[in-house]
Amino acid sequence: MHKHVVRAMNVFRLIGLYFKVNLASALEYRASFLLQAFGMALNNCSFVFFWYIAFSQIGGRIGGYDFNDVMFIWALCSSAFGASHILFANMNSITRIIVSGELDTFLLQPKDVLVSLLCSKTSLTAWGDFLYGFILMALTHGGDAQAWSMFLLGIAIGGLLMTAISVTAHTMTFYLGDASLIGSMALEFVINFCIYPEGIYRGVVRVLMLSVIPASFIVHIPLKLARHFSPGLLLLLLTVSAAYCCFAYVFFYRGLKRYESGNLIIARM
Amino acid sequence: MAAIEVEGLCKLYRTRIKEEGLKASFRALTRPVYKEVKAVDNISFTVEQGEILAFIGPNGAGKSTTIKMLTGILHPSSGRLSVLGMDPATQRRRLSYRIGTVFGQKSQLWFHLPPMDSFVLLGAIYDIEKAVLKKRIDELAERFEIGDLLKTPVRKLSLGQRIRCEVAASLLHSPDILFLDEPTIGLDVVAKHRIRELILQMNREQGTTIFLTSHDTGDMEQLCRRAIVIDHGRIILDEPVKKLKYDYMNRKIIAVRFTGEYKLKEIDGITLEKSGRLGARLSVDTRVCSIDEAMRWLIAQGGVADITVEDPPMEDIIASIFEGGGQSLGGGR
Repeated sequence: MHKHVVRAMNVFRLIGLYFKVNLASALEYRASFLLQAFGMALNNCSFVFFWYIAFSQIGGRIGGYDFNDVMFIWALCSSAFGASHILFANMNSITRIIVSGELDTFLLQPKDVLVSLLCSKTSLTAWGDFLYGFILMALTHGGDAQAWSMFLLGIAIGGLLMTAISVTAHTMTFYLGDASLIGSMALEFVINFCIYPEGIYRGVVRVLMLSVIPASFIVHIPLKLARHFSPGLLLLLLTVSAAYCCFAYVFFYRGLKRYESGNLIIARM
Repeated sequence: MAAIEVEGLCKLYRTRIKEEGLKASFRALTRPVYKEVKAVDNISFTVEQGEILAFIGPNGAGKSTTIKMLTGILHPSSGRLSVLGMDPATQRRRLSYRIGTVFGQKSQLWFHLPPMDSFVLLGAIYDIEKAVLKKRIDELAERFEIGDLLKTPVRKLSLGQRIRCEVAASLLHSPDILFLDEPTIGLDVVAKHRIRELILQMNREQGTTIFLTSHDTGDMEQLCRRAIVIDHGRIILDEPVKKLKYDYMNRKIIAVRFTGEYKLKEIDGITLEKSGRLGARLSVDTRVCSIDEAMRWLIAQGGVADITVEDPPMEDIIASIFEGGGQSLGGGR
């Protein structure tokens, strides 16, 4: 047990170190950093406007959600996406890193390859996504402690699930040779299910959202918990999320055994 | 004691082959045909602790694949490997604390940040205590003369300065073996010389074993006592550099530019390879005519504007090894 705790602490420490270096690297271009982060937050605001119009036209509830519920899932989706891309921006580049042989750099170091690979890049626009969620929550949920605590927990779980989805999709590169298309589409596909009320999905799609496409675990279940807390549902959320992340981790390491290093000229950005 | 032991090492790659054309592309979708390529083919050698070994060969010979198997990046298809008593394939993480690597084509420094930031991160990655790391950085900064560069973003450094920082970064955790894969690639003569000097100094003072792959014959001549030549995945020569130099590296290329029209008459040991209106390319067999003699003869012709002396390319040396002697390189072709 003690060994696992030490290992987990080391992983957190490594993530923290990479975060500091990445942030320092991003701040080398301060104007670009602020512009990209602010631009993304502004871009996201247009969706609030769309939902506001929709609710004022239709009125009442859409798919069982009122306006504030929709804002909760939007805020959570945006901040979870932001957090995952601030800390693990390389999740979108795994295929390129495998194909170009850039993975060598991480294999030569004594730390976890997947964690090092994911952490070694940050996304500037992700800061906009991350902060946008907090602003939206502040505007729509004010000081609702239960909503805020589920929102914060949801960011951590959702961020890890989004990362796990990307890792799983990009890991296919080890088997297919190039899974960049699957990799770039997988997360977008799941997010499309995250940003609409759960009630509009029925039958098989609903089952898929609770299994293969874990959209419900990213936003809808945290919203349920924010409305009516249930320890059983929370346990289910934590268990399923942990299982997803473990699967992605093991799948990546299985694939890594098939790695054939390339020889392109590489610089770390 | 041996630092590296390799026995019957093989690496096979399975590659898909496809005939040209659209029809063949569709056929390859349903009935793909694979071919096995032997990147490394049954090689065996030993490197002693403190030795500087040149592992040379032309592009695609299997040098990088071998180094990647020795460092645990790639898993061998067959054969036995031991680096510092460890199996790189199963003990990669443990081994990485004791080896350093510099891949001329792959940087471990953050491009937009000063080297110091990368050094601090690498220090944490290798679990080096803060005080020990600071002392080590100071020591390496002095030795590699990079003290002034540590706070300049890597993107603003010259290639020579960057490589010096790369080598320093790879030495932060005081490795027992340093793997250098084409460390001087793209460097000018002065920068190459500086890097070679530093590598030698490190080997002398700290007893670091150096495993160097390069297709620059200068790296081998100036750094190593022993060289292994590899081609098409097989070792074709394993002998002291001195012998290799005598047998196969007995030719220099002189490129000369004149101020006006010129006339050259070949003498013993000097062959005219190519001539233009204002310049010529000469091949000098150093067993017959020393570079000193060749230069004096050239100056005596008069009107010399510029002279460059080069080593023949590695591909030519490999070809001469296959041909079985130095004659083909020495006496002109």
